[in-house]
Amino acid sequence: MFDWAHTIPILSIVCYLPLVGAVAILAFLRGSSASTVRRFATGVAGLDFLVSLPLWWAFQRDGELFQFRESAGWIEAIGARYEFGVDGIALLLVLLTTFLGFLAFLSSWSAIQEREREYYIFLLLLQTGMLGVFMSLDFFLFYVFWEVMLVPMYFLIGIWGGPRKLYAAIKFFLYTLVGSVLMLLGILALYFFNGDGLLAWPGLGGDATFSVLRFHEIASQIPPDLQFWIFLAFFVGFAIKVPMIPFHTWLPDAHVEAPTAGSVILAGVLLKMGTYGFVRFSLPILPEATRELLPWMIGLSIGGILYGALVAMAQKDVKKLVAYSSVSHLGFVMLGIFALNPAGLNGGILQMINHGLSTGALFLLVGILYERRHTRLISEFGGLSKVMPAYATVFLIITMASIGLPTLNGFIGEFTILVGVFERSWVWAALAAFGIVLGAAYMLWMYQRVFFGPVRHEENQGLRDLNGRELACVLPLVVLCFWIGLYPKPFFEILEQPVEYIVQRVDPGYAEALAAARPGELPAVVAGSGE
Amino acid sequence: MPAFDLREFLLLAPEILLAIGGLALLLAGSVGRGVPGRVAASLSLFFLVATALLVLTVEEVGPEPRLILGSSFVLDGFARFFKLVILAGTALTVLISVRFVDDGAYRAGEYHALLLLATTGMMFMVGGFNLVSIWIALELMALSSYILAGYFKRETRSNEAALKYFVLGALSSAILLYGASLLYGATGELRLDLLAAALPEAMVTGRLLVPTGWLMLSVGLLFKVAAVPFHVWTPDVYVGAPTPVTAYLAAASKTASFAILVRIFVQGLPTLLPDWQIVIAAVASVTMIWGNLAALTQTNVKRMLAYSSIAHAGYVLLGLLAASVIGLWSVAFYLLAYTFITLGAFAMVVVLERREYAGEEVSDYAGLARRAPWLAAAMLVFLLALTGIPPTGGFVGKVYLFAAAVEAGWTWVAVIGVLTSAISLYYYFSIAVQMYLKESTRDTPEPLGSPALTAAIATCVVATLVLGLFPGPFIEFAQAAGLPLP
Repeated sequence: MFDWAHTIPILSIVCYLPLVGAVAILAFLRGSSASTVRRFATGVAGLDFLVSLPLWWAFQRDGELFQFRESAGWIEAIGARYEFGVDGIALLLVLLTTFLGFLAFLSSWSAIQEREREYYIFLLLLQTGMLGVFMSLDFFLFYVFWEVMLVPMYFLIGIWGGPRKLYAAIKFFLYTLVGSVLMLLGILALYFFNGDGLLAWPGLGGDATFSVLRFHEIASQIPPDLQFWIFLAFFVGFAIKVPMIPFHTWLPDAHVEAPTAGSVILAGVLLKMGTYGFVRFSLPILPEATRELLPWMIGLSIGGILYGALVAMAQKDVKKLVAYSSVSHLGFVMLGIFALNPAGLNGGILQMINHGLSTGALFLLVGILYERRHTRLISEFGGLSKVMPAYATVFLIITMASIGLPTLNGFIGEFTILVGVFERSWVWAALAAFGIVLGAAYMLWMYQRVFFGPVRHEENQGLRDLNGRELACVLPLVVLCFWIGLYPKPFFEILEQPVEYIVQRVDPGYAEALAAARPGELPAVVAGSGE
Repeated sequence: MPAFDLREFLLLAPEILLAIGGLALLLAGSVGRGVPGRVAASLSLFFLVATALLVLTVEEVGPEPRLILGSSFVLDGFARFFKLVILAGTALTVLISVRFVDDGAYRAGEYHALLLLATTGMMFMVGGFNLVSIWIALELMALSSYILAGYFKRETRSNEAALKYFVLGALSSAILLYGASLLYGATGELRLDLLAAALPEAMVTGRLLVPTGWLMLSVGLLFKVAAVPFHVWTPDVYVGAPTPVTAYLAAASKTASFAILVRIFVQGLPTLLPDWQIVIAAVASVTMIWGNLAALTQTNVKRMLAYSSIAHAGYVLLGLLAASVIGLWSVAFYLLAYTFITLGAFAMVVVLERREYAGEEVSDYAGLARRAPWLAAAMLVFLLALTGIPPTGGFVGKVYLFAAAVEAGWTWVAVIGVLTSAISLYYYFSIAVQMYLKESTRDTPEPLGSPALTAAIATCVVATLVLGLFPGPFIEFAQAAGLPLP
């Protein structure tokens, strides 16, 4: 019933709808009141989510690898094209972006009180930038979105952030920019390798290209030392974004200072751009370098899991605790991805979504508390479960999701990752499992100090429980957490084909062994990959 | 010496028209009470547009370069491209000059006349094919620029700028000329192509003459484009000169100097290629590093933009360094984009500026986003473009330059380039911080626009964005500016 989605440029519509909204605010809502702008912007975000929803049903699980393709000439002189398309991985991330984006808009209604017009304009521009990153199949186009998105995020942190906003904003911008310009050199190196120097420059009649799929195809021809350098260049760009240790120091600052919606988007979507980069580019284009540098990647991932968890345990500020927990969770995602087998990749990608949902929800919840009390220090609270029972319940569910309790999404993700990692090495799995224990420790300890015990502070006596709008923000996330926790099959189904494609690219030996074990299943993927 | 065909003078019609325009304005300006500022501005705009039209029609460019007037000058795609870019830059300079010339107590005719004469020099320069004709054209540009820098006759800073510019500029011209004479002594040739052909033999017979000659020539040229370590004149001159003049020096003058630097290196010294590549690699690296680091600490916007223009000279050198087809295109495209970006940024300085240099501090931009959202947005576009962030022409231009360097195997210089341009974000965005993140105080100057200024800024914003989003036609335009490579 959603076949029509294939006949219209639905990805472009989803991507540029927020941009159109932002322009409309600039042009037509000049004198309007803040509440009009707020409603309009939220409406645009909601509409964008609705438009993106049919993708889920229209996407053919056993069809071509990349669907909803759009292709047009752009800068012919250098071979850059306008190429959009999503596979299962990108599709999930696109939906996560439109969904979390809408909730972020909704959550800003009471949190943002000044310069609202500009705020919603920047938030809308940010949506367009992030969606473009996940949809682009042309490296040049990808890079444009990747960098464009930094500007609105910079202003969101810088204008509406906390006390140290200026520092946090410029640190975020500089860190990510340094990473991405090095990535640009990597892209250029790939470009010239494929183009084989000057003769292929389109201005001279050649057919040089930035096409990601073309780079996938030539992966095996790239000499190992070139792969190594390009991998390093990509690594800096993506690892800063994820962030992997030791590139994570921008994250706590940016998260803590950003306004609630900014944190939600930062944690929920922005960090996934880094992990997505590894999955889409590093692994399939640079398989040899990936395998060669695997010990380092695993080491940094496990280091991130443990380090993030330990530092989170020491935090006095709830938001900072959640920020460091992101470092730990993203370490899990990276570990799963670098297991380089279907289970690990499936788990890693699903955990990207899970982290977006649960950490997004945690930031929303912390933001709600902050609006009421204007503090986030754990020591300022205690016994909140008596004054805000609904809030405490939702918070508990999300805490459990974040820890990885069975029936909730985190469990599925972490368990699948561990299965994949165990297949590679039980030592890694054991270390990672220890990270889960630490995760449970800091989350539960924090929960205990904030919600249980007597109400020690007078100010906390009269705290309002969740209102309707706030509940509307968080409940969808809770429902999704349960859905993935109880019935993750649809998600794994949509991931199956792209994941096998990546495994086949990055570790052909493993893919062959897999095919031998399960005859008849792989040819479908091989057919898809020829696309 | 080939025969002199007087009809070839017709092919110089654009330059001649512009020179006549400049002289006419000069005459009209000194008769009686002179011409009013707006009339002078309209007249020079008219002459610039007419010249551009002549360039497009008279100077038919065939596939082969055409040498004219005893091979003093050449008509090729390269010259044509840069002539048009320089004319565009000058026209924008005229637009942003209107208010400031009106405000001043000085004669408007003089100002516009000098501007047109300097531009005439630039046009001759980019079309020069002979070391002597190039040098004369360069002097016409330089002498007019010295006077322009001192246009505020009664302002000490302006005088200082003019004097410094003159002394150092004359020194560098002398070095350049001396270098040219040494090369002439070694080879007996002034024509670039013949010089190139004679150099290998002269290297053997002339021994030290050739290396000394081309090094001195390079020093003179690198001085004109303000590359480190020959940049020391730039900050003081840029700050002291009237802002529209600074904009003109940073955009048109720099473009013309780069064009001739590229032409001399690529057409005159190709046989020395490996030698000068090392020199250019070193100069480009220190220029990018020093220009950006020095800009970090500046609080005066003009001084910051001065250092930024030094840094950008380093980036453009990447394209020359590559010494490839792509390298030349990237230089051409970048200078095109850079002209609009720089003029736009300086136009914003003019908007906030008051007489006697007030309104030039970074803190004067505080809260601009509230008071003048469109102007702030325009400035943001220029800042993004200067940093090299999409979707702007600065981004495409930088990608192009870095691509040229990577393709030619100069990856380490490209690495310095990308890292320093990331650093540059810090100082460019100190202005964005003021505009968007700070509140204005009572002392903050109000932006003061004029229709001409608005037109200039709007043109620059549109050009910057179009060059970033749909650069295709402009890249093809720049590709016409290729030079035959060794």
